[in-house]
Amino acid sequence: MTATATTTTRSPHAAPEPIGTRAHLTFGRVVRSEAIKLFSLRSTWWSIGVAAALSVGISLLMAAASADFGPGFPPVMAIVAPMQFTMLVAGILGAIAVTGEYSTGMIRSSLTAVPQRGAVLAAKAIVMGVFLAVSSAVIFAVAVVATSGLLTPQIDWSDPAASTVPIAYGVLSMTAFALVGVGFGFILRNGAGAIAATVGLLFVAPIVVSLFSVFGTAWAWVTDLGQYLPMTASQTLTSVGAEDTVPALIALLAWVAAGLLGAWAVLRTRDA
Amino acid sequence: MIVAEGLTKRFGDTTAVSDVSFTVQPGKVTGFLGPNGAGKSTTMRMIVGLDRPSAGRVTVNGEPYRASRAPLTEVGVLLDAKAVHTGRSARAHLRAIAATHGLPKSRVDEVIDLTGISSVAGRRAGKFSLGMGQRLGIAAALLGDPQTLILDEPVNGLDPEGVRWVRQFVRYQAAQGRTVLLSSHLMSEMALTADHVIVLGRGRVLADAPLDELVAAWTATTVLVRTPRPSELVEALSTSGVTVTTAETGVLQVEGVTAAVIGDTAAAAGIPLHELTPTAGSLEDAYLALTGDAVEYRTADVTETHQEQS
Repeated sequence: MTATATTTTRSPHAAPEPIGTRAHLTFGRVVRSEAIKLFSLRSTWWSIGVAAALSVGISLLMAAASADFGPGFPPVMAIVAPMQFTMLVAGILGAIAVTGEYSTGMIRSSLTAVPQRGAVLAAKAIVMGVFLAVSSAVIFAVAVVATSGLLTPQIDWSDPAASTVPIAYGVLSMTAFALVGVGFGFILRNGAGAIAATVGLLFVAPIVVSLFSVFGTAWAWVTDLGQYLPMTASQTLTSVGAEDTVPALIALLAWVAAGLLGAWAVLRTRDA
Repeated sequence: MIVAEGLTKRFGDTTAVSDVSFTVQPGKVTGFLGPNGAGKSTTMRMIVGLDRPSAGRVTVNGEPYRASRAPLTEVGVLLDAKAVHTGRSARAHLRAIAATHGLPKSRVDEVIDLTGISSVAGRRAGKFSLGMGQRLGIAAALLGDPQTLILDEPVNGLDPEGVRWVRQFVRYQAAQGRTVLLSSHLMSEMALTADHVIVLGRGRVLADAPLDELVAAWTATTVLVRTPRPSELVEALSTSGVTVTTAETGVLQVEGVTAAVIGDTAAAAGIPLHELTPTAGSLEDAYLALTGDAVEYRTADVTETHQEQS
C-alpha cells in the first residue's frame, strides 16, 4: 500500500466565499488567538506537567517529614515551598512562549496579523498570566488534597493567614514569575538569553545577595535591596505571619510592570 | 493598490532600500525582481509594517498597513515559508491567525483545502518539507480573502503542479481586480505570470514597466540564419549597419535587421537560405542586461573559469 500525500490543489477558479465585513481585529480575538497558540504547543503541557510533578512531589516529601520539623514549621509551607523550584519552570515557560516565536519566525506571522504590537504583548501577557494563575491554583489544590493525610499538624483553614493567604500569594508569585519571563523574552528575543536572564533574576540573584550578608554592615545595603528581588519578595508574601507585606507585594508587581514596559518599548520600536 | 513614496531603509551604514517609489496597480500581477540583496524583501517587510522605513512612506489601499482594522482582509502576505512555529500543527497555526480577525474554522478548512495540505494539516509544521511549508504560508496569506497579495518567492520549493497552481491562482486574483505583488528569481515563471515588472538593484528602482515593454527595451531581437554561403550573405548585409556573429559554420546570428530584410537581401543576391528564425529576447536576457551592474553577489563565469583550468 502506498501512502500518497494528496497535495492536489483546488482549481483557483473555485472562488472562496466572501469573507464577511465582520472579520476585523478586536482585543478579545487577539487574546483568543494567543490562547490557541499557547495551548497548541506541546512545550506548554510539558512545562506545566513538570511544574505539577515537582510541586506535588516536593509537597508530599515535606508532608511526610513534617512530623519531625517541630513546632516552628507552618504546615502551609509544605504547599508553597516547592515554588523555589517551580518558579523556574514558570519563568522559562513565559520566556519561551515569546522567544519560540522569534526563533521560528512565527513573530512575523503574529505581527502581520496584528500590527498593533502593544495588543500582541498585552494579549500574550494576559493569557500567560491567567494560565499560570489557574494551573498554579490547581497544582496547589492537588498538593493540599494529596498531603492532607500526611501533614502534621494539619493546615488550619480557619486562619487565613496560615492557609489561604500564603497559597493565594503563591499563585500570584507563579503568575508574576511567568510574566517576568515574558518580559525578558520580548526584550532579548533569544531563547538562551531570555532563559539565562530569567533564571539569573529569579534564582541566582538571591543567592548572590545572600553571600553579601557575611561581609558585615558595610555591605548590608546589598542584603537590604535583595529583599526586593522577585523570589525574596515572594517568600516574604507566602510566609506565615509576615508583618509588612505591602513593600514585598509592590516589589513583585513592579518587577512585572518593569519587564512588560521594557518589552513594550522594545517591541514597538524595533523591526520584527 | 500599493503606493511607495521615497521609501528608504538603512541598517546602520548600509542602505538596503534607497528612495524607492512605485505603484502596484490592482487588476495586474506585478513581478518584483532583483538580485539577492537588492532590497525586495525589505521593501515587502516595510509594506506590512514589520520594518519601519528610515524615510518615506508606503500605503496599502490608501492607508498605512498598521492603521488597518482588518489587515488580513487587506493584505495576504507570504514573506518566507518559515514564519510558522515549528512545534504547532498547520491547522492550529492557521486557527491562531484566523482567530485574531474572528474568521471561522470553516475558513481555515477552506484554505487548507485550497492549498492542498489537508492530508498533513494535523502534523507539526516543523516536519514539513519546503514545498509543504510554502503551501502552508500561502494558506495563511489567503485566510482573510485579501484584496492585495504580497508573495515573496511563493514557488520556491514547490512541485510543478504547485508552481502552475500559484501562477493560475495569482492570475485569477488579478483578473478579479485584486492587487498582486510577487517576487521570484525564476524568470521563465515570472514571464508567464507577470503583466508588469518592477526591478530593484542595490536598493533602487532600475525599471518599472509592462513586461513586454521591458523585454523589448532591454533585449535585441536576433535572427538565426543558416546558409551554405555565409560569407556572401554577410557581405550583402554589411551595408545596412547590422552586426553578425557566427556560432558555427553556416550559422549566423544577425542583429539589427528584420528577418524579412535578410530574406529579401538573400533572394536578391541569389543566396540560398536553409533557416531564417527570428528570436525575441527573454525576460531573463532583459533582467540580466538591466541588473548587470547592480548584482551584489556575483558568481564567476563558468565558461571562463573552465578555460582557465584547462
